[in-house]
Amino acid sequence: MVSLLKVSITSISNNKILHKLLLLSFLFLFISTFSSKNLFAQENSECLECHTDPAEVDVKVRVDHVTGEVEIVSMLVDEDAFHASAHGGEDFYCIDCHADLEDVDLEETEGGHYPNLQPVDCITFCHDDPAEEFLESKHVSLMKENDVQTPTCKHCHAGEKSKRDTPRADDLYHRKDTIEKCGGCHEKFLHSYRNNLHGQVTALGHLDTDIATCVDCHGQHTILHSSEPESTLGPEKVIETCGRCHPGANDSFVKHVAHPEYKNLQYYKSALIALKNIRKDPEQIKSIFKSPQIIITITFILYIGILIQTFAGFGMHSLLIWFGTVLDERKEGKESGHGKK
Amino acid sequence: MAKNNTLLRFKLFHRFNHFIIIISFFGLVLTGMPLVFKDYGWALWLYKLLGGYPTAGYIHRICALVTFFAAFLHFAFLTFEATVRKTKGLFWGPDSLIIQPRDVLNILGDVLWFFRLGPRPKFDRWIYWEKFEYLSLMWGTFVMGATGFILWFPVQSTSIVPASVANIIDLPSIALVAHRYEAILAAGFIFTIHFFHTHMLPDNIPVDEAMFTGRVSEDHIMHERGAYYERLKNEDQLEECKVKPASSGAKFVAKIFGIPILIVGLLMVSFMLSALVCSIVSVITDLNIGFDIFSIFAF
Repeated sequence: MVSLLKVSITSISNNKILHKLLLLSFLFLFISTFSSKNLFAQENSECLECHTDPAEVDVKVRVDHVTGEVEIVSMLVDEDAFHASAHGGEDFYCIDCHADLEDVDLEETEGGHYPNLQPVDCITFCHDDPAEEFLESKHVSLMKENDVQTPTCKHCHAGEKSKRDTPRADDLYHRKDTIEKCGGCHEKFLHSYRNNLHGQVTALGHLDTDIATCVDCHGQHTILHSSEPESTLGPEKVIETCGRCHPGANDSFVKHVAHPEYKNLQYYKSALIALKNIRKDPEQIKSIFKSPQIIITITFILYIGILIQTFAGFGMHSLLIWFGTVLDERKEGKESGHGKK
Repeated sequence: MAKNNTLLRFKLFHRFNHFIIIISFFGLVLTGMPLVFKDYGWALWLYKLLGGYPTAGYIHRICALVTFFAAFLHFAFLTFEATVRKTKGLFWGPDSLIIQPRDVLNILGDVLWFFRLGPRPKFDRWIYWEKFEYLSLMWGTFVMGATGFILWFPVQSTSIVPASVANIIDLPSIALVAHRYEAILAAGFIFTIHFFHTHMLPDNIPVDEAMFTGRVSEDHIMHERGAYYERLKNEDQLEECKVKPASSGAKFVAKIFGIPILIVGLLMVSFMLSALVCSIVSVITDLNIGFDIFSIFAF
């Protein structure tokens, strides 16, 4: 290979015009590699040259093209955070996602590029699979029915400090963030999740994959209602889903009420309404009594009763004993005092 | 020679059992309560301090096993006393911890005394609230043990319930609710009522050393448990109960051990109380009863 190159170079060097051209092209290559202002944005290092320098780039106000949300975004790139992110590998280039910057002539724009880039398209060239799953899921079709804004990829897959630092699936911040993002809409279910053991442990800051967050049970992109057979919590798959963490999960185990309602005021209100409508619609109260929530709720109410009774009773008792003993002592003291006189 | 007037109230065995119950109970409460009060900063701090998940969970389970060991020792002792030594009055009579008809009279007498309508009744070996504490400890250990095992082995425990029953009775969820509120009941009871009734009474403050040294003065018994003292005197058992007084070293150790435990317990209960106040305020504001509780701050 080397000898072949030598031969070709020697053959070329015979030609004077070609010789000059070769020199020029080497010069050009040299300039384009080592000059501070590059002609075309291609390599990450070229982007990072400005985007890691606070003197060069600043913050920007951006309007989200889907939600219309206005946010202030820093144009600075934290290199370590970027390399730790899902897109931080060796073979990822800035222009892979910011495709409209490909072949931008940096010289023409005086070292900068035009300021407003197109929103990054995650779906078309790379992530069409999960996007399709998500967009065709029952979750999204229900959202469309109810006129709820469908979230974009970046809504859930956003890094801690910048949306750019797309976290990996098992990233601890990401797992925490998805609980809050799901809970932002499904507030009732977030509260009941926090009442259960999984939610208690994740609330205390342990977010590793050994404790279930929303997506571990409900699926990540194909989010279906648990009554549907294909859902991760549907009758066919539920044993497998629970069994991933609880080996040997059986038919009784999967009946677990992961979202107990006993601290939800709405649950008691609906029970009261059902009680009022008992003549009109007896099915309503029947369904409440048939659900597994009822025994949990009764246990809860019983315990609250026991707690109030015990602490009210014994608290009063110990206070009375205190006063009684002190009063008795004073009386005895007076009596003995009289005796001495 | 000075007359010896110290009585032995608790044998070494009972003191040892009480000691390991203290250790395991504090281990259980400190690792368990953060899970209940997960929304509060102190819970996060405490949980991190004790190793977080899963270390705190392991501590919790080890302490649970220690509690079961103490319970086993206690019942082994009862069986030994009842069958081998043939001690009488273990389950019925003035020496028993089971509630007696006389206790009902004592409660009524105490209520009269509260309202200054009569003298304080003379108590026997165990005062009625001590019996209540003992029995609730038995009940509490049983409930916490049973529900704790369900939570420890959720898959195995549900496998004994047929799926049709599990539709209504979801064992782990019920066990979690029972475990949580029984824990609040137990911790709250021990850290307030038990502390106030025994250790922080005007006579004993700050620590009733009898539980650690086992010894109590004759005057104290006469004053606190008149009926017991008279019974001992009439049955000529008073001399049998007399022992050497506790050394000042033992008293010092009892205080050094007891006071920090007392402080930790009271701190814990104040944490829990603050959380209770916060949650009640949030429930009231959630109720939307047309009165904004914070409007009083808007001048």
